[in-house]
Amino acid sequence: MALRAAVLRHIRLPVQTLTAAGSRPQPQWSFLRLFSSHDDHLTKEEVIDRVLDVVKSFPKVDPSKVTADVHFQKDLGLDSLDTVEIVMALEEEFKLEIPDKEADKIDSCNLAIEYIYNHPMAG
Amino acid sequence: MNGATTAAYLARRAAQKERVRILYRRALKDTLNWAVHRHLFYQDASDLREKFEANKHVEDLDTIDKMIAAGEATYDKWRHPDPYIVPWAPGGSKFTRNPVPPSGIEIVNKGLEDP
Repeated sequence: MALRAAVLRHIRLPVQTLTAAGSRPQPQWSFLRLFSSHDDHLTKEEVIDRVLDVVKSFPKVDPSKVTADVHFQKDLGLDSLDTVEIVMALEEEFKLEIPDKEADKIDSCNLAIEYIYNHPMAG
Repeated sequence: MNGATTAAYLARRAAQKERVRILYRRALKDTLNWAVHRHLFYQDASDLREKFEANKHVEDLDTIDKMIAAGEATYDKWRHPDPYIVPWAPGGSKFTRNPVPPSGIEIVNKGLEDP
């Protein structure tokens, strides 16, 4: 009985309070299953990694110049039609449907990352 | 030319550019709808890009307007009858499948009558 209490005292799992929708578990507790439908949002690092991968694999882009705050037309020297193609590739990568007017405004990696991170259905 | 850099000219050019971008986006999605296999899609997409690039240097506003109208007519003619729409978007298969229940509803005892 005392041994059991001693063992239990040593194994203490952290109590994590989950606030209303929008709270995300810290990366170091990623092994902790929360069994809630609100824990499957993408982390910012994942979004940034995948967006940069998509942009780097675009044939007209020089991969070494791509960073997270690069502007498609000013920094990478792309055309407006190339920007449209990149936005379409991002839509396919994250299984999103971006309305035309919104997609027209996405001009740089920053905006793309912000939009995708804040989209509730980004997969 | 006296109309070269007036605000109205620039505004009209900007509106035209936006129409062109939206037309290119829709045409590209439509091309993907028709040509499902990726190698065919790449071929068709580069053909579409060539068509847009060929008219890149036109300067006259009315000619540009006519070309955009012709492009939009071609797009309307070639629209796919069953386009792929992401499931959760309007028109997709999962749209409003599980709507959010109205607020203030409380399910007591899992809906069972007898405790």
